[in-house]
Amino acid sequence: MRVADVLQFAWQVLRGSVSRTLLILLAMGIGVAAVVVVTALGEGARLYVANQFGSLGSNLIIVLPGRSETAGAMPGVLIGKTPRDMTLEDALALKRSHAIRRFAPLIVGAGDVRAGGRSRETPVLGSTADLMDIRHMEVAQGSFLPRVDPRHSQPVCVVGAKVANELFGSRSALGEWVRIGDRRFRVIGILSAQGQSLGFNTDEIVIVPLAAAQALFNTEALFRILVEAKSREQISAAQSDVEDIMRLRHEGERDVTVITQDAVLATFDRILRALTLTVASIAAISLAVAGILIMNVMLIAVTQRRREIGLLKALGATGPQIRLLFFTEAMLLALGGAAAGLAVGQLGSNVAVQMYPTIPFQAPWWALIAAPAIAMFTAVLFTLAPARRAAQLDPVQALSRR
Amino acid sequence: MIRLNGIARTFLVGGEEVHALRDVDLEITHGEYLSIMGPSGSGKSTLLNIVGLLDRPDAGSYELDGRKVTALNDDELARVRREKIGFVFQFFHLVPRLTAVQNIELPMVLAGIDPAERRRRLDRLLAEYGLEARAGHRPDQLSGGQCQRVAIARAMSMGPTVILADEPTGNLDRHTGQEVLSVLERVHQNGGTVIIVTHDPEIGARSHRRLRMLDGAIVGDERG
Ligand SMILES: Nc1ncnc2c1ncn2[C@@H]1O[C@H](COP(=O)(O)OP(=O)(O)O)[C@@H](O)[C@H]1O
Ligand SMILES: [Mg+2]
Repeated sequence: MRVADVLQFAWQVLRGSVSRTLLILLAMGIGVAAVVVVTALGEGARLYVANQFGSLGSNLIIVLPGRSETAGAMPGVLIGKTPRDMTLEDALALKRSHAIRRFAPLIVGAGDVRAGGRSRETPVLGSTADLMDIRHMEVAQGSFLPRVDPRHSQPVCVVGAKVANELFGSRSALGEWVRIGDRRFRVIGILSAQGQSLGFNTDEIVIVPLAAAQALFNTEALFRILVEAKSREQISAAQSDVEDIMRLRHEGERDVTVITQDAVLATFDRILRALTLTVASIAAISLAVAGILIMNVMLIAVTQRRREIGLLKALGATGPQIRLLFFTEAMLLALGGAAAGLAVGQLGSNVAVQMYPTIPFQAPWWALIAAPAIAMFTAVLFTLAPARRAAQLDPVQALSRR
Repeated sequence: MIRLNGIARTFLVGGEEVHALRDVDLEITHGEYLSIMGPSGSGKSTLLNIVGLLDRPDAGSYELDGRKVTALNDDELARVRREKIGFVFQFFHLVPRLTAVQNIELPMVLAGIDPAERRRRLDRLLAEYGLEARAGHRPDQLSGGQCQRVAIARAMSMGPTVILADEPTGNLDRHTGQEVLSVLERVHQNGGTVIIVTHDPEIGARSHRRLRMLDGAIVGDERG
């Protein structure tokens, strides 16, 4: 039989029973679309997290008070004792390490920021000049915190784009005074709009010198120390330097947690990949269900088309030809279902992107190949039995009215 | 060209052996017009199925055009059947979703004949069996007689050695039956070998050789 004839024959069968064909296409399509959408969501989340960490800074090491048992992950809840505070002096001691390019101690609090008649509550960050480079921040107008001794307070601040806009409207905020709590600060810089970055929206913060924040929130304790290693290769050296210096300063006690961006990212990456794979496999089960549906429909077809199969044999069709006809039919169904599923899946991904433009929803290439491949595979697999049965049909019995 | 020797076919029905054919010897030469008659259950269809290679005998040997076909496997049999045998059935057995011309084309499609050659043969067959006006119609849009003509055209499409017709008029009214019979006789007049199983004594009388079957055996074989 010629390929074109085989295809046409199968096509006529499919066209001859529209509702049956549509049903299988639907089942196959749903399966493929589910895999595509689910992996697009998972991969989007993974890329989103990776991007977020990337925007956080490069070669970044984060030091936080308290000892976490699971190194590399987020700090867990401490058992029993409260940890010793991290202080500015602890941070300044990090200068001794040759693996560290720069660092920025960080205090975070919420402050009531007022200017003129307006006021709003924003996160207030206390830090030093190096924060800008470590966190890849950009200043749109004016300058960042001045490079001075961090022990000394200065009444200046840098505000996020949105804060500036809300407090001063279209007026330039630069050089204006704002009140935070009971202190006055002069706006010396306005950050460029940057948007969300792992928990902080830099558009909605106010940054003051560290000493000012210490006074404002009445605390010596640092929330974090952000450390930038000199290079990617130096990250682990910098990490162990930080641990050694801190232990030395804390009477030999390891009461800080040092996490590297890479470790955190790798953990997230692993978790999200595993999650994506898991849900994708669950979605793939629907493909198996579609396969079973194909098998049932094909078995019914063998019974319903007994006479036709018998006739084909009487007209000289061989067993392999009958099998080929059935497989072609199943393959056409799988191809159609896969195409429809891919289209719907892509559409779903696009809709997700429309709804959450910041998250790069896109099914990974392996899912775009695996989903149709699994569809074909199940279609062929579940057609084996029906096709075999058809090929073995006794033509005399099939053609008789019995 | 058809030589059966000691052919037997036994069915097991509910643990009991039914001898559909017992020790049948038969020789049919090229161009014969032969009818097989006999009561229901006497083994006529079974004999036709074995001659048509749809069924295998349990014993005996069968030579078709000088070739021993009893030794062939199923797929080889299918190919021989495709080339040499044309079937015409009582219930037409047309594929309902295909048009008349597609039904006629089916054996040539299975044989992988190229479309240009198929077209050529189809034109000839449609003209020969008076089906030109019905070529694009589906079986449910055709009368019984037209259906059977399509079936005969289909059987003839591969230029077979022999046409086997099992009660081809059994499902048609008298007039249409006559018409179909004359079509089959024309096949014979053009040099084809035609074997018809029938209950109709009139059809039997018109054939040139008459076999009578009874209880799985050939009990009569008269010519003229
Ligand atoms: N597939 C079969 N299974 C069991 N018995 C069969 C089968 N085919 C035919 N027979 C039996 O064989 C005998 C001959 O049948 P058949 O050749 O169809 O007779 P006819 O065509 O002359 O009416 C009958 O008794 C019938 O019941
Ligand atoms: Mg019969």
